[in-house]
Amino acid sequence: MVSLQDIVKSYPHGVAALRGITLRVEPGEFVFVVGPTGSGKSTLLKLIYRDQIATRGRVYVYDREVSRLSRDDVARLRRRLGVVFQDFKLLPARTALENVEFALRVIGTPAREIRPRALRALELVGLEDRARSVPAQLSGGEQQRISIARAIVNDPPLLLADEPTGNLDPNSSWEIIQLLSRINLRGTTVIMTTHNKTIVDILRRRVVQLDEGEIVRDQRRGLYAVEA
Amino acid sequence: MRLKRRRRRVIELPGRSAGALRYFAGEALAGLRRNGLMSVAAVTTVMVVLLTVGCSLLLGANLAHIAGALEADVQIVAFLHDDLSADAIALVRRRVADVPGVSAVRYVSRADALARLRRSLGGDRALANLDTNPLPDSLEIRVADPRQAAAVAGALRGIAGIDEVSYGAQVVDRLLALTRGVRVLTAAAGILLGAVAVVVVVNTIRLTVIARRQEIEIMSLVGATRWFIRWPFLIEGMLHGSLAAGASAVLLASGYAITAARVAASLPFLPLLPAREVVAVLGAILLIVGVGVGTAGSAIAARRFLAA
Repeated sequence: MVSLQDIVKSYPHGVAALRGITLRVEPGEFVFVVGPTGSGKSTLLKLIYRDQIATRGRVYVYDREVSRLSRDDVARLRRRLGVVFQDFKLLPARTALENVEFALRVIGTPAREIRPRALRALELVGLEDRARSVPAQLSGGEQQRISIARAIVNDPPLLLADEPTGNLDPNSSWEIIQLLSRINLRGTTVIMTTHNKTIVDILRRRVVQLDEGEIVRDQRRGLYAVEA
Repeated sequence: MRLKRRRRRVIELPGRSAGALRYFAGEALAGLRRNGLMSVAAVTTVMVVLLTVGCSLLLGANLAHIAGALEADVQIVAFLHDDLSADAIALVRRRVADVPGVSAVRYVSRADALARLRRSLGGDRALANLDTNPLPDSLEIRVADPRQAAAVAGALRGIAGIDEVSYGAQVVDRLLALTRGVRVLTAAAGILLGAVAVVVVVNTIRLTVIARRQEIEIMSLVGATRWFIRWPFLIEGMLHGSLAAGASAVLLASGYAITAARVAASLPFLPLLPAREVVAVLGAILLIVGVGVGTAGSAIAARRFLAA
């Protein structure tokens, strides 16, 4: 599904965000990427959805090397993977439904398919009754669920979540994580960066720990930190 | 690799689906509304360009039209020496006909010339007390291309038996020079003002890009193609151009109709182009130039500000 081979990513001002990462994620996996701020977690995800290009090494997504994709192929790649952010990235002037529909409309989905598909995605995140609310009328957890609905409306095989619970209270965080688990159970591969120890420790999924741009631990059914 | 990328690039035309087209147009109109004052500035600037271009087009076209009308009348008159025999006149006539560029030669005897002069001066009385005919015999020569009139006249002066040559093309020459001058000035002013208009359009579109930055980010995140993201901006620029074209076409057409009517009333001998014939062509040119300027501006803006 995703394969990173000996990835080095340095930024123009000389900071090396990733130094020699090799990682393979199989279809259907749920992977937590943990590590302190600045350890390169977000950069890792950005390489996968081709927001950034590796300085060295190869990134394969769906068996295609993403640095070689044309811009239009990048657009096509992104239609097949969902991305969720800490700050939701919803359009404030549009309703929940319109936010989800927007994602369908701008990739040229036929008009009559847009409404039913957006409603189905909202149903899946349990917010069909808030379809007409604008983001400001929704709680943080609800906003994040809208953004997840938007991310999965195209049924992507892969969902990337960059600190999706970073702005949420524990209850909302728990809701989000349950939602992501449910999506994972439907067969979608999930890669999620997080600081949330509780969640990682309860779920016991694969944990990849980064420190200063290197993988220091890759553990099946892992915990947030190695017990002392 | 580079070649491959280039080949794959797809320009998604807005006609691909009705939904997409409606989306592009809606976003473009929203951009126009959102940047109210800047949009007005952009449309006005393009309009000034179009008014300038239109005015000089009208002026140039009419000058050319007048010159053309006068040109049709251009002929060269060669006055002959007084004492030529009929044979000598026939010889001169043949020589004149052989000059390159001459299309027709007509002999006008001094008697015919006097009769014609009398007619044009309004009857017999004007020259009634003339005892002798002061006019010489002459040849009236038409040239195939009026622009060669000067050259032909020069050649005629060298033919024995011809006393003097005059041609009415000097006026035409000046008119044509004026027309050329108007065209050069138009081109210079048009290019200068056009550049200014493009800059204003670029800045207006830039505001739309800034206002929609969030949407653009999400669009590219969920996999909208570059062209899908670009079209609304291009259409917004085209709208600037077409609105300006419409406004300036209405202004110029009505202005021209009024002016042409006044000129026709006070200077009836001046052959102006009829307003009806002018309007359609003028409108088409203004639309092309206006949309061109608008599209150029928005294309530059899209290139510069949507590069991410």
